[in-house]
Amino acid sequence: MKSAYLSGIAILFFIAAGISSASPAGELTEQIRQTTDKIISVLNDPCMKGPDKKEEKINLIRKLVYTLFDREGVSRRVLARQWRKLNDQEKKDFIFLFSKLLEQTYMDRIDNYSGQQVAYIGEKIDGKYGILKTKILSKNDKDIIVFYKAIKKNSKWLIYDVSVEGVSLVNNYRTQFQSIIMQSSYDNLIKTLKAKVNKPHSGKDNTKG
Amino acid sequence: MFKKKNLYTLQIIFCFMLFTGLPSFFHLSCQTAMAASPSVSVKGEYIFFMPDELLYFPLEASNFKRHGINQPLPIELCMEDSLTEETPGIDDWPENEEYDEESDWEMDLIYDPLEPVNRAFFSFNDKLYFWVLKPVSTGYNKVVPEPLRKNVRNFFYNLRMPIRGINCLLQGKIKGFGTEICRFLINTTLGVLGTADPAKILFNIEGRDEDFGQTLGFFGLGPVIYIDWPILGPSSLRDTIGYAGDMYLDPLNYIVTQNKYNLSARGYNTVNRISLKTGEYESLKKAALDPYVSLRDAYYQYRKNMIRK
Repeated sequence: MKSAYLSGIAILFFIAAGISSASPAGELTEQIRQTTDKIISVLNDPCMKGPDKKEEKINLIRKLVYTLFDREGVSRRVLARQWRKLNDQEKKDFIFLFSKLLEQTYMDRIDNYSGQQVAYIGEKIDGKYGILKTKILSKNDKDIIVFYKAIKKNSKWLIYDVSVEGVSLVNNYRTQFQSIIMQSSYDNLIKTLKAKVNKPHSGKDNTKG
Repeated sequence: MFKKKNLYTLQIIFCFMLFTGLPSFFHLSCQTAMAASPSVSVKGEYIFFMPDELLYFPLEASNFKRHGINQPLPIELCMEDSLTEETPGIDDWPENEEYDEESDWEMDLIYDPLEPVNRAFFSFNDKLYFWVLKPVSTGYNKVVPEPLRKNVRNFFYNLRMPIRGINCLLQGKIKGFGTEICRFLINTTLGVLGTADPAKILFNIEGRDEDFGQTLGFFGLGPVIYIDWPILGPSSLRDTIGYAGDMYLDPLNYIVTQNKYNLSARGYNTVNRISLKTGEYESLKKAALDPYVSLRDAYYQYRKNMIRK
């Protein structure tokens, strides 16, 4: 009994030692961490559980996510060459549609969140560009390495690409969109995008693409 | 004598033993195992530990929730050289609109001359997944609890150590080779034939996923062309050669020599693996406008990243 008590104290001491020895995080890490912590606390909030609260929860998270991302930057990189051929209205429409697609994909999965922890490994800054390395920790499986690429705009860091285990979101969509534009046209891409966004559960019957 | 990291691990083991009351010779053997482990002294690696995992301490996030505290558990983290060479370069996408069109929007693609055939195999695999593999693994899910399925997966993973170890050697990654040997020794003994992963949980030794396809890539061979094999799934010419090479190193082929039993073991492994990944393929398809292109690109990028590591 006594030894258990003593080791309990020892553990607390080691935890404290672990915290104090962590080097101070950079500005990029701090900004992203703040917003991410807010999102996690919304996800963990017991008041937000339940189907009647889902709408409210999604709206809250959407607001937080929008402050985290450079939505125009993502769209511009995804469309690459095509972006310059668009007028302002078309650009706006594309940003809206593409954000909707991402939202639809990832919002459905917020209910799957089961308390995974995120470790902020470090950051690398080069002028106004920065990369943040994080790790999603899991108990029995391999940890997942996630890189966030961000750009500093008005002293605020905004994410323009996420890469999970080396697979970049922007590159993946750019390849797909380029392939569709090359095979048909930009109008057709928008049509496909609209169909996808308006049909929430199209996971199973879209094999041919 | 020991670095900070070793000390932490020792502290954890020490606490662990006080809790469980393990005899002290275990302590000694752990020490020797750790002294033999090359990965413990790898510079620039970070350490973290999860007390709840190690000590069966009732600090689960869910317990906090029950007490009305929503804060997630802090993770102890010690950062040294936090960003390693695997960090992708900051790309130079220009922010202003004045850029050289041709050079900046260069696309990095895998050559796919067999696209029509590949697309046919892709939709075959798609049907195979939704009509056969998914229903089977969903049923299997209901019968076998998740921890047991993870044990099965770990067993097969541990068994393939020679593939990873030898390919580490072929690429001159001596540390990686040592890590793999160490993990194999710890997990085969303490981890009961590799079904558990004490090497990671207790000693924080992460495996090195290497295969012959990566070795070929390491020496500069590109993927050549994309091939989406029926049943086996996305691959490239290089990785197909790699896969064939790895078959010679796979212990399963020497332990289970009879074809039908060998294939059953492989099939079972596949079903087991899919049962742990239910929903991953579905979400890829859900996010994609063209799932075939999305999968092809994800495979290409993923392999490129593995080779870079």
